[in-house]
Amino acid sequence: MTPVRVLLVDDSGFFCRRLSEIINEDPRLEVVGMAYDGQQAIEQVINLKPDVISMDIEMPVMDGISAVRVIMARHPTPILMLSTWTTEHAKTTFEALEAGAIDYMPKRFQDISNDKNMAQQRLCQRLYDLAIHSTSKDLPTAASSTSLPPSRLKKSTAENHSNIDNISLVAIGTSTGGPVALQKILVQLPANFPYPILLIQHMPAAFTPSFAERLNTQCQITIKQAINGDKLYPGTAYLAPGGMQMLLKGSHKKPIIEIQAGQTGQTYKPCIDLTFESISKLCPAKTLAIILTGMGADGREGCKKLRSLGASIWAQDEQSSTIYGMPMAIAKAGLADKILSMIDIGHHLVKLR
Amino acid sequence: MPLDSEDEILQDFLVEAGEILEGLNEQLVELESQPQNSDLLNAIFRGFHTIKGGAGFLSLDSMVALCHKGEDVFNILRQGDRTVDAEMMDIFLKVLDILNAMFEETKSGEFPSPADPDILNHLASYLEPEEVVAVVIPDPVVTEQTADSEDITDDEFEALLNQLHGDGAPGIETTSPEQPTVSAKSDDDITEEEFESLLDELQGKKKATAARISEPTSAPIMAEIEVKPVAVTPIANVTVAAKPAATTKQAETSVRVDTARLDDIMNMVGELVLVRNRISTLEATSDNEEMAKAVSNLAVVTADLQNAVMKTRMQPIKKVFGRFPRVVRDLARNLKKDINLELQGEETDLDKNLVEALADPLVHLVRNAVDHGVEMPDIREKSGKSRQGKIVLSATQEGDHILLKISDDGAGMDANVLRQKAVEKGMMDEEAASRLTNSECYALIFAPGFSLKAEISDISGRGVGMDVVKTSISKLNGIIEITSEIGVGTTLSIKVPLTLAIMPTLMVMLGDQIFAFPLVNVHEIFHLDLAKTNVVDGQRTIMVRQKTLPLFYLRKWLASSFIPTGKPEIEHVVIVNVGTQRVGFVVDQLIGQEEVVIKPLGALLQGTKGLAGATITGDGRISLILDFPELMNTYANRGY
Repeated sequence: MTPVRVLLVDDSGFFCRRLSEIINEDPRLEVVGMAYDGQQAIEQVINLKPDVISMDIEMPVMDGISAVRVIMARHPTPILMLSTWTTEHAKTTFEALEAGAIDYMPKRFQDISNDKNMAQQRLCQRLYDLAIHSTSKDLPTAASSTSLPPSRLKKSTAENHSNIDNISLVAIGTSTGGPVALQKILVQLPANFPYPILLIQHMPAAFTPSFAERLNTQCQITIKQAINGDKLYPGTAYLAPGGMQMLLKGSHKKPIIEIQAGQTGQTYKPCIDLTFESISKLCPAKTLAIILTGMGADGREGCKKLRSLGASIWAQDEQSSTIYGMPMAIAKAGLADKILSMIDIGHHLVKLR
Repeated sequence: MPLDSEDEILQDFLVEAGEILEGLNEQLVELESQPQNSDLLNAIFRGFHTIKGGAGFLSLDSMVALCHKGEDVFNILRQGDRTVDAEMMDIFLKVLDILNAMFEETKSGEFPSPADPDILNHLASYLEPEEVVAVVIPDPVVTEQTADSEDITDDEFEALLNQLHGDGAPGIETTSPEQPTVSAKSDDDITEEEFESLLDELQGKKKATAARISEPTSAPIMAEIEVKPVAVTPIANVTVAAKPAATTKQAETSVRVDTARLDDIMNMVGELVLVRNRISTLEATSDNEEMAKAVSNLAVVTADLQNAVMKTRMQPIKKVFGRFPRVVRDLARNLKKDINLELQGEETDLDKNLVEALADPLVHLVRNAVDHGVEMPDIREKSGKSRQGKIVLSATQEGDHILLKISDDGAGMDANVLRQKAVEKGMMDEEAASRLTNSECYALIFAPGFSLKAEISDISGRGVGMDVVKTSISKLNGIIEITSEIGVGTTLSIKVPLTLAIMPTLMVMLGDQIFAFPLVNVHEIFHLDLAKTNVVDGQRTIMVRQKTLPLFYLRKWLASSFIPTGKPEIEHVVIVNVGTQRVGFVVDQLIGQEEVVIKPLGALLQGTKGLAGATITGDGRISLILDFPELMNTYANRGY
């Protein structure tokens, strides 16, 4: 198996060289080139055709966001943004995602883990996963290894058991690729959307406030970062704050959001399973849970529980998922009532009345 | 815990950070005159950003903290939310100074000490408007909620209370050191497909290692083996194998080399040049055509090699020029002058040693131009000039030497004032002073203990500087010239050779010995009818194009044991630039131009005045290289 070919883009030669040392240590990855500004990056992408790109945002000549836009238009390649995880820089990261970058990691490795080796391994793993699992580029090997036989998909969708008219709450969980997917879906909803929505997006704490604010300006419905004690109003979406856990408490008549500090052992903060679990104790039968693009399987256990108690479950389809991991986990476990494309999820939500 | 200053990664960081800091120095000064230039703001932002990134990698926390603040401030500036003012500029320059100090600490292998909290607070205060906005956000949410429900039930009231409590949460959350983990772990349950792909992967890895083992054996062999099976796959294999090799090469295009090693190489090339000179002299005596061809080939290759090696040691003069915008700005602010510094030819390359050696003299001269050259704005206005003065610093390569010019559009120098001053200081009598030409008068400022300014400022004018400047330029085999016009300005020109390692010289004979004149000093050569010399004030002189130059018989100083047979009527005279002066030397024979490598004098001759070193000439003889400034000091009893 040939290693995944990585292109590094950063105006700091120092940073490129360090990154290259880290990446080349992973036998699955190989750095095939470096570019020191956006313009060079575009040329290198065309010349080298890398499998995955690590991209800086701040660069001379052409910044990372513009470069992402051009690359995605001319030669779509999975791009991982290395950005600064601070509130001020959240905006640029979202812009990069909207421009077509798939995912982001912090430039300062200490932001993901205090253990340097651990952080470096995570970076390598992420690059590898993006190259292999990303559907933004037609990687024949990746597609064939992750896609399911169509027959099995049908079986799971066929047994549509729950009644969708009975809904009072929508809960959406997503990870990699989620920011763009959420935006595309939520923007379709009218201001008078009749249900409250809980959003669980895997995202660092520094990013969620800006993300909520950004969605709020783009969409007709109200979107806010959930705070402890929030009551649920129709036409409002509550984004789980990063680094925390969002739980639904109170009674099924008067549900209240409870925000708990994330524990050190938890893999995901916020965690979709935890939120879904809390919903299952209140109003599972009246809940529509949707799992969108993302790596891993967060949400599967939660959906299992919800569905056994009568909830409806939708999963994003492979075609429109940036990373077909979490939706695949739902589909494979036979939990999905519907498997829909990103746009269709919006259409179907609008029809819920 | 000290840093390992030998660490490759640290060195790599220092090289990059050093370049960025130099850039920041210039960019910040430039920013003062163009505070709205968004390219500039972006560039400065990126500078802080990049240093922060690197410092973060090495856990240089205090550097990260400072750069982080700097980056934030410039992020606001570049978004146009705030504009730079003079006070801000002062803070930025202080930040840069601190950063430079941290850089030096890191260089010497210590963790940089934390920045003065005052500065950090200052920077933080520039972020204020942004913070105000951030504080405002939670408010509307609260009011919105209360407005929604007109009657507040107990439940809702409680919820509201909770909510207000909760308000604190976002604040806590941002400061909490808890690191969010978003990274997705692969499925905990391994499905069949995944297991299979894992197997594939493992096998693939083995294949990869196997391939790697065969890689070192040259590519053609691999291709041969691969061609045997199906035709399609090998082609793919070959291209894949070939490409990474090509690209990894591209990835690392530079290596770091110790300058000492470069010096060694340069020395060896110098030796090679001497051998080439020797061989071509030998060849000239033989008739062998093949030999002649080979020798001329050798000459070309040696010249190329010499050039190439010289280029590796070259650095743009920007390295020195880069610090001047800051120097001029600070000084001008201090003196309440308004001065615009223009840099020309920053990309001009010269030998690394020269770049370093030129730094101090140039700083001195530039400070002088600011202090003495350019007038106060009011005075300028009165004399019909713009209030803003101008200093131009330029570098150009002229053949094998570099010409540096520092010109100001100030008041210029008054030769008469200088004459008077010289008499006052007892350096010469009035008559001698009146005989000085204008340029000789200007050159007086290089005399030890001669200061132009009536009062001594803390900036310059202590009268120790200029003679030191002249000495250090002379040491580099360089020369200084001054031209000045009252009311228009002054220009100082410095000529230095491109490199110190190999020196083009003019070979001459004194008696039966060969001597080498550094070519950079040689101004012109001509034949002289000895009858046309005059003796003035006990000094033999000649007139060259209306200029009177002192004339010396070099033989009398350096080869006095040789007694010439018969007195020729025509002598060879070499006009030499010594510092700011021109002097004529009578020599017995002119041999020609030759590139030589300077060798230190042996123990016996060590310390002999007037000799810079020795070299081996093409015909295998030893030639002494002259050091004119010292020669004049020793033999002519005059300061040059």
